[in-house]
Amino acid sequence: MNPVEVKELSKAFQTREGPLLRKTSKTVVAVDKISFDVSEGEIFGLLGPNGAGKTTTVKMLCTLITPTSGDALINGYSIVKDQQKVRENLGVMLTGERTLYWKLTGRENLEYFAALYHLDSSHSKKRIDELLEKVGLAERVETLVENYSTGMRIRLSFAKALLNDAPVILFDEPTASLDPQSARLIREYIRELKREKHAIILTTHNMEEADALSDRVAIIDHGKIVRSGTPAELKERVKSNDVIEIQARKFSEQVLIGLQSFSEVSKVAVSTNDSTDEADLRIHAEKGKEVLPRILEFLVRKQVAVTRVSFIEPTLEDVFIAETGRSLRD
Amino acid sequence: MKEVRGLRATTQALGAIFWKSIKHYMRLPGSFALYIALPFLFTLLIFGMGRFVGGGSAPTYFAARTGTTNILVYEMLGSAVWMTSWVVVEDVGVSLRNEQVNGTLEQNFLAPIDRATLLVGMSLADIVITTAIFLVAVGATIAFTMPTDIVALTQAYLTLLIGLIPLFGISFLFAGIIIRFKEPYVFVQIVNVLFAVLTGTYYPVAFLPYWIRLISGLLPQTYVIEDMRQIILANQNMVSLYGNVFVLFALALAYPTIGYAIFKRIERKASVTGEFSKY
Repeated sequence: MNPVEVKELSKAFQTREGPLLRKTSKTVVAVDKISFDVSEGEIFGLLGPNGAGKTTTVKMLCTLITPTSGDALINGYSIVKDQQKVRENLGVMLTGERTLYWKLTGRENLEYFAALYHLDSSHSKKRIDELLEKVGLAERVETLVENYSTGMRIRLSFAKALLNDAPVILFDEPTASLDPQSARLIREYIRELKREKHAIILTTHNMEEADALSDRVAIIDHGKIVRSGTPAELKERVKSNDVIEIQARKFSEQVLIGLQSFSEVSKVAVSTNDSTDEADLRIHAEKGKEVLPRILEFLVRKQVAVTRVSFIEPTLEDVFIAETGRSLRD
Repeated sequence: MKEVRGLRATTQALGAIFWKSIKHYMRLPGSFALYIALPFLFTLLIFGMGRFVGGGSAPTYFAARTGTTNILVYEMLGSAVWMTSWVVVEDVGVSLRNEQVNGTLEQNFLAPIDRATLLVGMSLADIVITTAIFLVAVGATIAFTMPTDIVALTQAYLTLLIGLIPLFGISFLFAGIIIRFKEPYVFVQIVNVLFAVLTGTYYPVAFLPYWIRLISGLLPQTYVIEDMRQIILANQNMVSLYGNVFVLFALALAYPTIGYAIFKRIERKASVTGEFSKY
C-alpha cells in the first residue's frame, strides 16, 4: 500500500452568475477524475497554471473540500469516510502567509497547533525547539508573527506543517511570493523530508521547482492530469522538436496565426505582458535552425520588434505547451 | 511523535484555544475595555431618558412597575446580561468569520479535533469576559448603591453562568449562519438589538404583548435577567426561583445540541461548496 492513493477523484462546483434576479446556475468541473499514487520517500509534483485544479486537489486530500466523486487513501484512510484519521496522518502547508495567528509569537503559534494535533505537551516543546532551529527562527521565537517578514512567516508555516511528523505532507505552492534565498531554503527542507521517507505532494506553477524537486510530475490542466512521469521522461517526449524562445514587442493575434501556419512549427505558446507590450514566444519546431530565418523574416515583415532569440533545452513548460498548446503563465 | 488521546487530548486542545483567545484579548485590549464600559454607558443612557420622559415622578412610576426604587441596579443588571449575550454571540460568530478571512479557520479545520471542541474552546474565553463584566459593572454598582450581600451576588453570578450555556448554543447556530452567508455584523447587530428588546433588559417582560412574550420565553437571558433582579433586589434565592432555574438548565441542554447540529449541517454543506475558502 502506498501512503497516498488517489482514485478517480473529481470535484464540481455549482456557481451562480449574472445580474440579481436573473442569475443562472453553472457547473464548473475543477478536478476531473484524477488518479495517482505517491510512495514512501517520493516527491510528487502537481504542475499546472493558476486555476488548473491543484489547490482544489490538495484541499480534497486534506478534507477541507468534499469530493463530488472518487476517493483517496492517505496512509490507508479514506478522505471521505475517515476524515479524522486522515488529518492525523497529514501535515499540510497551504498557500500564503496568512495561515498563522499574527498576534501570537512564533512559539505560541506552534504550541497552539501542537495542542490541536494532540502532541504530548512534554514532548512538543522539544519538537517545537527543533523545528524552529531547523527553519532558522530560533532567535525570533518570542517575536509576534506580525513583526515577521514574509519569508519568516512562510518558514514558520512550513514548521507548522511538520509538527505532527506525519507520514504524508502536502505543500501547496510553498515558495510562492518568496525571495530566491528563502525559496531555496524551503526546497532544501523538502528534500530533507524526502530523505526521511515522507511521502510528499507538492503543487506548483513553477516549472523549475517541479523539475528540481519532484521524482514524478503530473501536469494538470482544466482539472485533468494531461501527462505524468519523471521530469526526464516528460522532457524526452518533446526532445524531437527544437524549442525556440523569442522575445518581441508589437506582437498580435494575427502574427500568431501566421506562425502556426509554418509546416515545421508544431506549437506556439505566447505569454504577453500588457503593461510593457512585450511578448515571450516559445516555438516548438522540427529542424529549428532551418526554419528560424524564415520565422524571423516573417516577424520583421509583420513589423514585430524582435529583441531576443535563443534555442533552449526543453523544460517541463515545453511539455505543458506540447500537451495543452498554452504556456504555464497564460 | 508521542500523542495524547481521549479526554486529555480534548482538554489540551480546549486549553490551547482558550489561551489563544485570552492572549488576543490581552494584545488587543480595546474590545475588552469596550465590553466593560458599555454596560455603564447603556445604563446611563436609559437612566437619562427615564429622567427626561418621566421627570420628577419617574422613580415613583418606576417603582410601581418594577417593585424597586433602585433604578441604577435594576438597569445595570439588564445591561450586564445584555452585554454578556452580546459578547458570546459576537465572539463565537464574528471570531469564526475573522478566522475564515484571515485563513486560520482552515488551519484549525485541518487539525484532528472535532468541531465541537473548537466551538466550545472559543466560548470558554467568554466566561472570563462575563466574569469581568459581572465584577466591574454589577459588583461595583451594587457596592456603591446598596448593602452588599455576598451570597446574593454569588447566586446572581451562578445564574449568569448557567445562562451562558444556552447562549453558547445560540452562538454555534450563528457561527454556522455567518460561515454560510458572511456579513457577520449584520446578523450579530440584529440579534443583539432583538435580544435587548425581547428579554426585558430595561423593562419588565410583562409589559410586552402576549405573543412577544412567547418569544421572550425561548430566550435564556429573559430568565437570567429576571432571576438576577429577584435575587439582588427582592431577596429571593435560586431555590425559590427553581422554576426559572429549571428552564435555564433545560435550555442549556437543548440549545447547544440544536446549535451544534445546525452548525455541523452548514459546515458539511460548506465543505461541498468550498465555502470555507471563499472570503
